[in-house]
Amino acid sequence: MLKAINITKKFGALAAVDDLSFEVEEGQVFGIAGPNGAGKSTLYNLITGFYKYEGKIEFDGQNITGLPTHKIARLGISRTFQIPQIFESLTVEESVNLGGRFGSSGKYDSGYCDEMISFASLEQERSDKTDLLNLLGKKRLMIAAAMATKPKILMVDEPMAGLNALEIKQMTNLIKKINQDLNITVIIIEHFMKVLTELANPILVIENGSEICTGTPEEITSNPEVIACYLGDTHDA
Amino acid sequence: MFIEIIEVIISGLLNGSVYALMAIGLALVYGVTKAFNFAYGSFYTMGGYFAWTLLVSLGIKGGYYTVFLTAIPFLFVVGYFLEKILISPLRKRSDWQMKAMMLTLGLSLFLDIGYISVFGPRLKSLPDIVEGTLTIGPFVFMNQDVVIFILSITGLLFFAWVLNNTRVGMAVQAVAQNPIGAQIVGIPKDRVFAATFAISTIMVGIGGILLSQKNFVNPQASTGIMIKAWVITAFGGMGSIKGSLYAALIIGMLEAFVGYYLGMIHIEIAVLTLLLITLAFRPQGLMGRE
Repeated sequence: MLKAINITKKFGALAAVDDLSFEVEEGQVFGIAGPNGAGKSTLYNLITGFYKYEGKIEFDGQNITGLPTHKIARLGISRTFQIPQIFESLTVEESVNLGGRFGSSGKYDSGYCDEMISFASLEQERSDKTDLLNLLGKKRLMIAAAMATKPKILMVDEPMAGLNALEIKQMTNLIKKINQDLNITVIIIEHFMKVLTELANPILVIENGSEICTGTPEEITSNPEVIACYLGDTHDA
Repeated sequence: MFIEIIEVIISGLLNGSVYALMAIGLALVYGVTKAFNFAYGSFYTMGGYFAWTLLVSLGIKGGYYTVFLTAIPFLFVVGYFLEKILISPLRKRSDWQMKAMMLTLGLSLFLDIGYISVFGPRLKSLPDIVEGTLTIGPFVFMNQDVVIFILSITGLLFFAWVLNNTRVGMAVQAVAQNPIGAQIVGIPKDRVFAATFAISTIMVGIGGILLSQKNFVNPQASTGIMIKAWVITAFGGMGSIKGSLYAALIIGMLEAFVGYYLGMIHIEIAVLTLLLITLAFRPQGLMGRE
């Protein structure tokens, strides 16, 4: 469904993403892990057209390399950000409707936008200004607005960052529902390995912009290179 | 005494309504792109020359009706394509807002000198939009001022309607608040930037037609208009449309009172004093965000 072929992004001499290739299949929850600065969010920025890069990315067989962000969104790739990107003076309902009006390639469907507000458990906050929402509310809102574009792939960037244990459980359930009930392919970047291994399969682990390994949660968590990358190299005393 | 005060207030409202029409365009561009358009005043002059060319040079039929009907698409196309051709390529570069400011400063000089080359250095006179006076009780208004007021208010209301009720308006608001989030929900940021520039060109250009028929078409008017529009947007809060509206009305009123009681010569210093005091205590302006 989404295929990255030898993509590289350099900032000066530094390769933030270095000759990376991977493929996401329809229906998967595809996890991306790696330490801070590994190039995970840069990778999202490449897929969604914020940066130019070397290599090629295909979506549903179509080459999307070089397309502007709004066109990629209209093709069916939506995303959220680690720091919520909201429209402060708009209400929850207006924000979600923006996704429905502009991001969906089909006709604007206000009923579907309403469904997404309910789906993201934002019914009670529907008429609230978005800057009044708490962090979980803002994250739910980003997901609802992204879902209103009727995406084929939803990319979420560290959705658990800053949430408490109960909120993490709620967010985990929401992502599961998106994948299982709405049959939407999900790509998730997450630092919190316990959550990532519960949600995603397969998981791609990157460091310094390059792939360390890709595999099932079991394979990943038992891979010595991954362990070293997260816990540091072991050495003899 | 009472009648005099009412007359001064009406005069302030008249000034304020045209100032609002022109300053809001500048605030809109800054609010959406965070780049300051130094060529803004030159589009005011362009409006005046457009009307003069149609009415005086070509002698078209239909008078000001034809002028306004053709000026709106003309100014839109000029604004849209200038943004697309000159400013849009800068956005791929770092620190593009600063480069855009330098470029629009150059564009302003080019246009102002271009007007002198094409139309000559002398002022041009436009026919009055209407003649005569309107008497309501003890008050006597020039019909010309009444029409300027009505057209300015109509322009402002139309702008507010577009911003709040149309697809373009929603896209403009979304990009102004969060350009990254806007793109993610499928809004074409670059097209919104160009449309914003075009809408602001219409607003100041129409202001130019309205005021040039009252005064003159002046090839050197742009600097004064640019300063006036900047003072209003800075006082109201850079990028705040509501702030610019209030600021335009306050400054229009201040000018009317200072002009009446202290003399016209003190108007500019009074306005700038108000601006400096405001910015000293509230650098973000009346309604700007820090």
